[in-house]
Amino acid sequence: MPWRLWALVPVLLLVGAVGLFASTGNSLLDLVGQQPPPVDQFDVRRVEFKPGEIRIHVTNPQRQELTIASATVDDAIVPFELDGPRTLGRLRSSTIVVPYDWVSGDPYTVGITSSTGIETTTEIGAAVETQAPSPKGFLGYALIGFLVGIVPVALGLAWLPSLRRADPRWLAAFMALTAGLLTFLAFDAFAEALDLQATLASSLQGVGLVLLGVASSYLGLTFFAQRFSATGEREQGAPLAGLALATLVAVGIGVHNLGEGLAIGSSIALGELSLGTFLIVGFMVHNVTEGLGIAAPVAEARRVGLGRLAALAVIAGAPAIVGAWVGGFLTNDLVGVFFFALAVGAALQVVVEVGRYVARRAPGGLRSGYVIAGYLAGIAVMYVTGLLIA
Amino acid sequence: MSPVTRRQLILGAAPAAASVPLLKLALSGDADAASPSHMSAMAHDVMIGADVPAPGGPNDLDSLLYPPPASAPGEAREYDVVAVDREIEVLKGVTFAAWTYNGNVPGPVIRATEGEMVRVRFRNAGSHPHTIHFHGIHPADMDGVFEIVEPDASFVYEFPARPYGMHLYHCHATPLKKHIAKGLYGAFIIDPPEPRPPAQELVMVMNGFDTDGDGENELYTVNGRAFYYAKYPIRVKRSETVRIYLANLTEFDLLNSFHLHGDFFRYYPTGSSDQYEYTDTVMLTQGQRGIIEIDFQNTGLFMFHAHQSEFTELGWMGFFDVVE
Repeated sequence: MPWRLWALVPVLLLVGAVGLFASTGNSLLDLVGQQPPPVDQFDVRRVEFKPGEIRIHVTNPQRQELTIASATVDDAIVPFELDGPRTLGRLRSSTIVVPYDWVSGDPYTVGITSSTGIETTTEIGAAVETQAPSPKGFLGYALIGFLVGIVPVALGLAWLPSLRRADPRWLAAFMALTAGLLTFLAFDAFAEALDLQATLASSLQGVGLVLLGVASSYLGLTFFAQRFSATGEREQGAPLAGLALATLVAVGIGVHNLGEGLAIGSSIALGELSLGTFLIVGFMVHNVTEGLGIAAPVAEARRVGLGRLAALAVIAGAPAIVGAWVGGFLTNDLVGVFFFALAVGAALQVVVEVGRYVARRAPGGLRSGYVIAGYLAGIAVMYVTGLLIA
Repeated sequence: MSPVTRRQLILGAAPAAASVPLLKLALSGDADAASPSHMSAMAHDVMIGADVPAPGGPNDLDSLLYPPPASAPGEAREYDVVAVDREIEVLKGVTFAAWTYNGNVPGPVIRATEGEMVRVRFRNAGSHPHTIHFHGIHPADMDGVFEIVEPDASFVYEFPARPYGMHLYHCHATPLKKHIAKGLYGAFIIDPPEPRPPAQELVMVMNGFDTDGDGENELYTVNGRAFYYAKYPIRVKRSETVRIYLANLTEFDLLNSFHLHGDFFRYYPTGSSDQYEYTDTVMLTQGQRGIIEIDFQNTGLFMFHAHQSEFTELGWMGFFDVVE
């Protein structure tokens, strides 16, 4: 028992040292320089337009306290009420409720002024009423998620009979296509995550959050991949194959579609995206290749029933619905960054699994021309279909 | 039927578990869909009375609003002016690190009669060099341009007051924009040798505050506090002329203006002649000033404000409470 207490000693000493510095630290810093005054900028997380009012959610991103003193809309000081504290401690937030007769579609500049007179402004390109969660909204987002997620994947799975009759080298090529496709998705999601984290307050360490997300999903899926494959079918260390691999691919694509759904949902909620039918069509075409990617590993396995295939389509497609719900009703950059990071890790993990499978079981392994061409084709197909959405 | 495996249970339970918070979200959403009607009504009300975000109490600015009386000609008037750095509250909850004459922005009202000697003993208790530059007719070495008064130093400005009218003074140390924007200015009234007819006299110095240093004013005020006279309307009597000594010391904006509701006034530019304009809106650039004379026809609350709507909604507005 005594050695456990000794293990606490460094921790206690650290707490003591940090506390000592925190209480007297300013005198130490005064020796080397002068502290500039705090920046006193608010972090405007979200601006909502409701009938007759504007709600502004702000947080304090700096170490020092920040007090909300005044609010302006379009260079006019407006009366407001506070839903939350007036003086914000570090990372605390509050909502400023401004009764305002806003004009639908007009741009607005909203400003929050601190007690030191520093004004933080944010611009809204066009004022649209923020939808509160409602059954109609739920159904709408679910339908969009269904069209964008499940339907294309199910259509892609219809390639399964053709794949079963294919030459093993072609099958390997299609597996490689899956891998190329997922690599593209991983890069895409990674770029989105990094772009989005740049808009977060620096104290939230967006980059660290991205790393956390990527590592969580990659390692989490690696862990669960072992559990998915039926025990006894595999030797120790053998790569996943058949239905198990297809399920893993479906999970990886599913996590990515969660991010896609999130992006669609939050864009609609923010009024930034003019959602036309052509946009949904673009995503549908883009996602059909994902169905192909799931079908390829199944082609090598024993016959699977329609029920299982349907389950694969749901695993891959349903997260788009969930993502659209979350993005549409809970627009939050922090959640968005994390979801995109999860998508990266999931996609990469599946690429690794597919790679191991192709290396072991395909004729010619990873160096075969079919495999290389298939991988590159996967990237190319995603790129081309992506142009439809841009 | 094979027993349900752990995996199946987890896979099956996950969507069910996820749906619960989402369902809660859906149900709670409808509750705040109805917005209280009083909120949209508030959006249309003009700001007046206790809810106005003006700082301070009802009589805080009286020394700036009501000028000292005109003096009998022949006396030399002496003023003590000290430049001092001070944090002032310009809007409720918002402070501004100002450079002031005698602790307030704008500085004290200096008044003299044409012909008499004005003596202003200026001491610099601030952290930067300052001067006082008067608008008027005076010798070049009393102009407040070349004689820079360093911190802790003093200077005595002494000159005969000329010409009669409404004038102003401000710091002329460089950088000019900064020294004016920080609050070093005030009204300087020179009465004509024959006193003007008796009236209820008020001084209004229009200005702005750049609270975040971005080279633009975030607040506009009259006599130094945003929305002050909307919170505490100025009470005047209908039976007597209201004479306003008006000056524009707004930095960064090219123009400012004065608009009166419900009545017209005579505007004497610079107050230096009998010529007047009969109107309800006048425009002034920085450094322009004049005398407004109002003979109110009706009683009640009459708004006065800049006719630049932006300035109005950022603090430069007030009310006259005209009583019998």
